Amino acid sequence: MIDSEEHPYVEWIAREARRPVPTDAEARARVMAAIRTEPRLRVHRSRWAALVRPRTLTLSPVGGALLAAGLVGIGVMGGLYTHNRDVRAPAGQSKTVAVNPQLPVSDTVVKFVFAAPRTTRVSLVGDFNDWDTNRTPLRYDREVGLWTVTLPLSAGRHLYAFVVDGSWIPDPHAPQAPDDGFGHANSVKIVRGTAS
Amino acid sequence: MTPFRRFRRTAAALVGGGALVALPAFGATAQDPDPLSRLDANSRFAIELIIDSANTAGLPTRPLMSKVLEGFSHKADGRRITAVVRTEFGYLKTAHATLGGVSEEELAAAAAVLEAGAKPSQLAAFRVRQKGRSDLEAFTDWADLLTRGVPRDDASSAITKLWQDGADDATFHNLWRSVQTDILQGLNPGTALQNRVRETPGGPATRKVTPPEGQQENQSSR
Repeated sequence: MIDSEEHPYVEWIAREARRPVPTDAEARARVMAAIRTEPRLRVHRSRWAALVRPRTLTLSPVGGALLAAGLVGIGVMGGLYTHNRDVRAPAGQSKTVAVNPQLPVSDTVVKFVFAAPRTTRVSLVGDFNDWDTNRTPLRYDREVGLWTVTLPLSAGRHLYAFVVDGSWIPDPHAPQAPDDGFGHANSVKIVRGTAS
Repeated sequence: MTPFRRFRRTAAALVGGGALVALPAFGATAQDPDPLSRLDANSRFAIELIIDSANTAGLPTRPLMSKVLEGFSHKADGRRITAVVRTEFGYLKTAHATLGGVSEEELAAAAAVLEAGAKPSQLAAFRVRQKGRSDLEAFTDWADLLTRGVPRDDASSAITKLWQDGADDATFHNLWRSVQTDILQGLNPGTALQNRVRETPGGPATRKVTPPEGQQENQSSR
């Protein structure tokens, strides 16, 4: 493929076209004076015509990229919203189950204590913290040699376990639940409402 | 610049810009608060079906979602989590069919009793209850006794007898604590239960362990 701008013949034509044409200064002044005497043309265009008149838009590469990015972003977000809405609420039913509506609003403060002086880290996992091993760490009290944490729990039945240096251990002083299906036993804490 | 070069540069800019926007969007998907989004497509579909079935049957979905989250915490794969959720759904369904309309908490506790080995027919005695009386403590202690190796029929008959005699939560809890202590000291689980049941009054316990007001304490040791 020949690039037209690099072709010698094309370059010669361009060079000739760019060469200034010598003109008489007086002649140029006469022409301009004649033009100034002409009445100005008044073009009546409707607003609609102005709106529908084709225009050429020029965009820099960065501007084009930003515009495209915005359009793609709107499309992706719209798709995600539609997808999540369809998945979460089939047949008009909500699948949001994080909140238990049957539990009383009032909370009871529960203190969990674990005696393990030689361990480096103890945390609490349970259905009250989405079984997140990092969310509820126990603090070690050197004076009494106990790991403790106090947290408010809704009234009801809660499953929990201690995570001691990475190992799941049920509370030896609480009733046990059957194997959780993942090879571990959890403990059960029944929290009675403060009102009851 | 030739039109071809301009087209090439614009196309590259469009693709790059699209990628710049799409990547954060997919990142946002990864942080979706919907926990099921962390599952593979097949497992997610299966668990959504189970949850839909639970909703339709009037069963609580919170215990099922809790199993999903627990599975994540154990780094279990989707198939394992699905199997566990399906099993839990089965127990909840059986407990609901046996007990009828009880609270979500009681239903989950009853499902645990079934999971520990009790028969649905043994659970049926709890269908009739006094108004306002909760069987949460009884179910919890019952499931624990079965989990610790107390023979199924012994545990079931003891708990049912106490329940029918009107025992309160403290009575069940004290029985559980006594039996657990005996088992930890090496006594046969069945024998431990038989001994302690004989000492347990049918009515309210004489020794009540009450925590400070507004605070309950779990004392644990390792």
